[in-house]
Amino acid sequence: MSKLYTFLKYFFITFWTVFVVAPFLWAVSTSFKDFQSVNSKVTYIPWLDFEPTLEGWRVLIKSPAKGGVDIVEPYFNSIFVTCTASLISIVLGTLAAYALSRFTFKAGFVRNNDITFFFISQRIMPPIVLSIPFFIFLSTIGLLDSLLGLVVVYIVLLMPIAVWIMVDFFNRVPKELDETALIDGCNPYQAFYKVVLPNSIPGLIVAGMFCIIFGWIDFFFAFILTFTEVQLLPVKVVALNSSITPWWSLSASALVSVAPLIIVAFIVERYLSKGNLSGALK
Amino acid sequence: MAKIDLSNISHTYNPLDPKPTYALNPFSMTWENGKRYAILGPSGCGKTTMLNIVSGLVRPSKGEILFDETPVTDLKTEDRNIAQVFQFPVIYNTMTVYDNLAFPLRCREFTKEKIEERVKAVSDTLNLSSFLNSPARKLTADQKQLISLGRGLVREDVAAVLMDEPLTVIDPDLKFRLRRNLKEINEQYKTTLVYVTHDQNEAMTFAENIIVMDQGEIVQVGLPKDLFEKPKTTFVGYFIGSPAMNIFHSTVSSDHEVKINDTTIKTNSNLGNLKDKNVKLGIRSEFIELAEKEKSNTVKIKLTRVEDFGNFKLLTGKMGDLVIKSKVEREKPIPDGELNLYFPPEKCCVYSDEKLV
Repeated sequence: MSKLYTFLKYFFITFWTVFVVAPFLWAVSTSFKDFQSVNSKVTYIPWLDFEPTLEGWRVLIKSPAKGGVDIVEPYFNSIFVTCTASLISIVLGTLAAYALSRFTFKAGFVRNNDITFFFISQRIMPPIVLSIPFFIFLSTIGLLDSLLGLVVVYIVLLMPIAVWIMVDFFNRVPKELDETALIDGCNPYQAFYKVVLPNSIPGLIVAGMFCIIFGWIDFFFAFILTFTEVQLLPVKVVALNSSITPWWSLSASALVSVAPLIIVAFIVERYLSKGNLSGALK
Repeated sequence: MAKIDLSNISHTYNPLDPKPTYALNPFSMTWENGKRYAILGPSGCGKTTMLNIVSGLVRPSKGEILFDETPVTDLKTEDRNIAQVFQFPVIYNTMTVYDNLAFPLRCREFTKEKIEERVKAVSDTLNLSSFLNSPARKLTADQKQLISLGRGLVREDVAAVLMDEPLTVIDPDLKFRLRRNLKEINEQYKTTLVYVTHDQNEAMTFAENIIVMDQGEIVQVGLPKDLFEKPKTTFVGYFIGSPAMNIFHSTVSSDHEVKINDTTIKTNSNLGNLKDKNVKLGIRSEFIELAEKEKSNTVKIKLTRVEDFGNFKLLTGKMGDLVIKSKVEREKPIPDGELNLYFPPEKCCVYSDEKLV
């Protein structure tokens, strides 16, 4: 029985690993192929099955004038917009979440939970509903097709995530912790940044991870709110496609696009596996 | 270290309500410098609210708080120089044990030497010296509570150390030792200690003065002996002592006598103006004696149960439909069936409208 269990366990782990890793390996292999290797017959192993070439990768850094699709600038644009918007969202979202967790707000029938729901309701709406207001808003203030405009829009999109995660996190940090800090001699601001915030680092990391992921993968708003001046990576990658699908350069761009998220996942995983995500101190 | 005056304090958590319910009804009290107090009462009686008012976490709806005659009602918690320990350990997870203990001193900008000296002294008292460099989050629950306690004791000049059932998570043996340590600290440094608990044994063994509370009301303040022998209300009689005080419905028959089920009991209370009124007679099971034969102030009971508690026996008997409990020495032979119990008049308390006559 236990042998069967061990066998099934390893079987499913192996199956799942293959399921997850195979597309990556396929992309890695394809990125080094050329038209011939992709379209003639099924090939897997470089040098043995096909002659590897860097053409798929070169296209990504070649300027359009030389027949390439330069993704270097969009790449850094994406990093800038995602990081800036995530950082601002985390700072503002954490402050808002702390207030929503620790103080009682009343305005008519509106209570703390309603305010939290109002934040998250921004994400419940289909993006298309927001696209026209955003377009008009950005064009009115002259920020259409600019990095700053995208940062503003992304803050609106990412802050609800930060607020939502952090409210839940702060709710699990007992209020006695703040009270103890006050008794020990901190003023409310010191209690927040000397005691509550260091205790909330795991929450901040999780919120940061979600902000970065959602910021990085957004295609819709980047596509609608930019034209020629500024382009983000997802839009540029789509621009790679043509009548003959360039699998090699698409694979290469998929790999470079996913690389930052893999790095983030590795960093976050260290914190998640430490098991100190729980806010309760008891 | 300070004398703490609570003057006409009352508190409600819903002040805007047309008919607010009070968590604390108006009261005045003085906590003398360097004494040990225990606040005793069932859950939800307002004990924690009272502590939070003193520490400044809650602003009282009415009344004034004075530390050494200086009003502090409007002073913020951080400016009151008070220490408070909560029921469950509250530690700064990201810091080491040393940094946890040093935190209150660092916040108040003590010198490094002074911090080191105080942390060492406190960690020695609480057996935490060998953990000083460990991350606080890695300690066990009772060690964490010792850190909370240590942060309360690390400042020598605090007005008072307020403790809200601090030993709940600590095992009985260590609990006993810690209570003794707290007493020693109080005697050595003359720190005012206020200890909230619902465990009467804890209160009785720890405090010089006990404040008994019920439903937002202070029902009695006194020495453990007074609370035990002369409870001012039937509530205190029920709440203090194990088993609870025997309390019987009775009628006043003469200036010093009451009748329970036709049996006349003499008391030392003056009942002149309560003639023929319904009152309650209370007597501790510890004070009821076994009588060999029927005499004055004895009641005849039918024994229903004998429980052996190791150091004493608890007899439960019935007189009509009244249940009487009596604690007797373990060695004493207990006759079967009916027996006579003697109520010493000086130990009988008479209650009219639940208050001691």
